[in-house]
Amino acid sequence: MNRLFLALVLPASLLLSGCPDSSTGIDDQGASVSDFDWHMPDWVPLPVEPDYNPITEAKFQLGRYLFYDTDLSSDGSMSCESCHQQDKAFTDGVARPTGVTGMIHPRNSQSIANAAWVRTLTWGNPTLTDIEQQIVIPLFGIDPVEMGVNEANQDLVLSRLQRKTEYQTLFAEAFPDQSDPMYDEQAWQNIIHALASFVRGMTSFGSNYDLYTAGQSDALSTSAKRGMNLFNSEKLECFHCHEGYTLTASVRDRRRTPNIPAPFFNTGLYNIDGISAYPEPNTGKHELTGKTSDMGLFRPQSLRNIALTAPYNHDGSTATLREVILNYAAGGRNITSGPNTGDGRMNINKDPFIVSFTITEQEIEDVVAFLESLTDYEFINNPRYANPWQPPKDQDLTP
Amino acid sequence: MIRRLSAALFLAPATASAHYIPSTDVPTTVDVGMVTTWRSSSLINDYQYWQVPGTLMGGHAWPAEKGVEVDEMTLSLAHRLDQNLYGVVEVGSHAGDSDDHGGVELEHAYVGWVCCSDYGPWVAEVGRMSALFSPALAEHATQRLASEAPLTLDVLFGRHFHDDGARLWWHETGGISAGAEIWRGKAYPATDTSDGGAWDVFARYNWRGERLSWETGAWFYSAAAEARADHRYGGGHQHVPVAPPGETATAFSDIRFTGDSDIYGVHARVNYRLSQDITLALDGEWIHANLDGVLHDSIGRQADLDGDQSGGWIQPSLRWRRHTFGVRAEYLTTDNTVVGPAAPQLAEESGLANPDDHDPRRFTVIWHWQWRDNIALRAEAIRDESLTETDNRWTLGVIWRQRLWPGKTKSSHHHR
Repeated sequence: MNRLFLALVLPASLLLSGCPDSSTGIDDQGASVSDFDWHMPDWVPLPVEPDYNPITEAKFQLGRYLFYDTDLSSDGSMSCESCHQQDKAFTDGVARPTGVTGMIHPRNSQSIANAAWVRTLTWGNPTLTDIEQQIVIPLFGIDPVEMGVNEANQDLVLSRLQRKTEYQTLFAEAFPDQSDPMYDEQAWQNIIHALASFVRGMTSFGSNYDLYTAGQSDALSTSAKRGMNLFNSEKLECFHCHEGYTLTASVRDRRRTPNIPAPFFNTGLYNIDGISAYPEPNTGKHELTGKTSDMGLFRPQSLRNIALTAPYNHDGSTATLREVILNYAAGGRNITSGPNTGDGRMNINKDPFIVSFTITEQEIEDVVAFLESLTDYEFINNPRYANPWQPPKDQDLTP
Repeated sequence: MIRRLSAALFLAPATASAHYIPSTDVPTTVDVGMVTTWRSSSLINDYQYWQVPGTLMGGHAWPAEKGVEVDEMTLSLAHRLDQNLYGVVEVGSHAGDSDDHGGVELEHAYVGWVCCSDYGPWVAEVGRMSALFSPALAEHATQRLASEAPLTLDVLFGRHFHDDGARLWWHETGGISAGAEIWRGKAYPATDTSDGGAWDVFARYNWRGERLSWETGAWFYSAAAEARADHRYGGGHQHVPVAPPGETATAFSDIRFTGDSDIYGVHARVNYRLSQDITLALDGEWIHANLDGVLHDSIGRQADLDGDQSGGWIQPSLRWRRHTFGVRAEYLTTDNTVVGPAAPQLAEESGLANPDDHDPRRFTVIWHWQWRDNIALRAEAIRDESLTETDNRWTLGVIWRQRLWPGKTKSSHHHR
């Protein structure tokens, strides 16, 4: 039949043979180029780096040593790892962590995996967009005190670091343009920049779900596949806030120029005044803006490694993934006793996607199976992100 | 009898009559058109999207589908109100991806004013209309020799152009027509947003002799678009289509375009009557588009687009008595530059990427048989190279085109 077609159209084909050729030139202006090895699949767009702190392997490695160094706290008892532990996808497994002075943090420790890609870095602060800014808070913050560094003890803390021989080389390699990066006035800035580089370089895109989306159809169990379909369905609506390669709507990368405000949502967890109030001081975005319409609005979390990061929600008030799903199924949380009594389902700031739905036990299991498929065991076992002050572990956490 | 028939066939099917002015003699007319076509294959598979490489598409440019389908149905009512005023209403439906898209819509609803004789030379029209700048753009499938709309019009204008607007033109006086149209922007490639809309100017000249007749013209159209979607598949709430077990379905990438489309073209048509039974014709149009704007999406990705796209067709045909044989050869070339951090992804997802430097082509061999006065049959062999994978398909179709009221009276003024 092809020959017949060709015979019929050959004269016309010859007539058109002189037409110019088509092409599409594409220039991404260097967005896909980086000197740093991000240790991630090439389909993931590169994250945004601040011009003042471009990531290097040397800064990443220095940051790794600092991240796990308890001498970075006022009394030498805490490191960043205290609240961000690798086996828990860099969370801590408790509802709310405790700082060096015993103050309990009002909010739950977040996973810092893929922190380079989120638009805002904490539960409720819309202004905190650079990791370098955020790291200052656990180091120097006073409400709550976390690592307890302050003007009075910062030289002492620094001197403890300076006494460690490992840092002599690490600092010099990380900041080769500085003559004395560990001792001069830039020392604390260098520490922050190195820590930010380590956090920025923590990438987790190696879950079974990623294998499945890459074409390995048996990477997900049948139950997880059913759960994935539920997750992406109009019935559950999960995907609206937990979308894309980061599984959160709060995402930025080199390809994006966001033209809408960073997302914060009220999921109807509380309603202690019968209108919209959340328990102080955890009022979310409202804590910064003071607007009543921002009451109870929190950043949607990435669901990557979510099975390892219990307990859940901004205050760690939900113990399991099953409870999280049931809260959503109810269209919010109705607390019937205690100081936080109130019907979150009636919260006026509740996001329109938080609507009640019916779900069977089997469907809950399926959704949990899907969420468990988001665990990146390579990430939590990767020596690259492990404590350099300890010998490598033999233990593999992969089930 | 044969002479009368030849004269009638000289106008149909190759001559279009997409726009007409009802006469004062027979003030009310009702016309119907319907095309049903069987095709041997679909251009794309189920759960795929028709996207010609190197182009942005939209509007109503649906791909050819295997099996029997009503390509088009139109029902038109025209009424001459008085010596100067007339009104036209037309509803129509077109083949689409689903019943939702193929539903009946109001295509024409306009009022016209002629000055200073019954037919002009000045004509002003306002309402919902087809554009007149490109004769082929206003043609229906009942009026074309080929069943499928020209590829270039599918790509650059989304096949059907019906928009709310106004037109003022100098109407076929001394063979010359010229005018200007302004559009709200409902028709692709414009948008009807605050900074959207479109306008055009056109001019053409026709001449008719004893054996030879010809028409030629040129036009310029400019459209502005804001966050224009490909409404065939996107533009609203997006979800992954539900495919049966074993099939793979992916969500359509809802990439938007904000910017300007400046498009111009020239067209020509020549008829030569060799004898009472045989008429030769040559039809063609060349169109060039410049796209200047930004591609973007809902998650904040964007890239600048500068595109030059040219296309057209040439269609020689021979009419012998009630039979017309023709060939339509179409081409499209695209030269795009996409610049920005998200350029690779947006180019791919929008359809502008053309990694194989593919040159879309399509060739159609046509046999049209005017079986009865109002019923024609059509058979085609189509080699479709609009995509990188060639599709060869056959078609068989029936065309019903009739003036229902007032019977066989010739009452209106037709022209291309």
